[in-house]
Amino acid sequence: MHELSIASAVVESVLEFVSVRPVRKVLAVRLAIGELSHIEADQLRFCYMAITEQTPIQDSALEIDRVEAVVRCEKCLYRGRPKYWEEALLVGAIPTLQCPDCGATVEVIEGNDCAIKSIRFAIEDDGLTVPAA
Amino acid sequence: MIQTIEASPDEIYDIELEHSLLEANAELAKENRALLDRHGVTAIDVMGAIGSGKTTLITRLVERLKDRLGIAVFNGDATTSTDADLIANQSVPVVQIATVNGCHLDANLVGKALRKVNLEKLRLIFIENIGNLICPAEFPLGSKARAVVVSVTEGPYMVRKHPHMFLGAQLVVVNKIDLAEAMGVSVAELAQDVHKLKPDITVIPTSCKTGDGLDDVTAALLAV
Repeated sequence: MHELSIASAVVESVLEFVSVRPVRKVLAVRLAIGELSHIEADQLRFCYMAITEQTPIQDSALEIDRVEAVVRCEKCLYRGRPKYWEEALLVGAIPTLQCPDCGATVEVIEGNDCAIKSIRFAIEDDGLTVPAA
Repeated sequence: MIQTIEASPDEIYDIELEHSLLEANAELAKENRALLDRHGVTAIDVMGAIGSGKTTLITRLVERLKDRLGIAVFNGDATTSTDADLIANQSVPVVQIATVNGCHLDANLVGKALRKVNLEKLRLIFIENIGNLICPAEFPLGSKARAVVVSVTEGPYMVRKHPHMFLGAQLVVVNKIDLAEAMGVSVAELAQDVHKLKPDITVIPTSCKTGDGLDDVTAALLAV
């Protein structure tokens, strides 16, 4: 939930970023969304497009990479994907905090966050002149 | 002869960052927690759906503990002070956090509430979150533990419908067990669902009406 406030935060960060660089046009913003964060990529993209409309970054694309969950078990030292709860009534598998090997509670190492990974932009045209060798 | 080479007007740069968007609230939550730890105060984030029994549970716990420990209650509610008024009858400090249109408490609001109480005199703070099983999960407040109250009257599927909420909890109270039979809801199955998500959560069946389970909840909270 709250994809709109996340989209807002993305836009704010991007605008801050371009304010101190010779940016002609922002082409794309790449995000990494963790499997265990509560953020829905489609909704986020929709919000981003809606709020960048009529702004200098309105044509920028939002690229979203999904970061898989990685957990660690203190008891048996398992490290890897979490155990998933799959059942008839569930639409899709739910990640759990149960160790796939020993059944103890695991801690999350990766997959909790939502972060901006990169910003792709075209620089201002300033026509450099370089002498030939 | 000098040749002119011009930089392409579409010189493209790809700058890498590592800018977390969830940091802001998380940082404030850490600050709240540090402040509480410095004063030896334990804050419990009490979450659950509307009508699950959060306020009644907190009231019963306050009744039992107020003569032993300094307790305060923060009550999050969008528009009313009905819950806060109920608890204020117990003569403990109550701070009403009115979110107006907000669907969850956040660390910023809790930080403001912390400035309204005398932490030197407190050992325990109950933070009653907004009645909502989705949004509060995303917003840590700086509490030492999260307690989710789920009542049998919400039906048998509440855990699987709201996994994020339960994954973030340390304690689950299954409330209104006196109505379980009438509802045809199995308390054991609800507990099983919780443990499928997170094996080491403490699950305590309670009835705030009859008092069943309240001793166990009290003990669990004091052990946090």
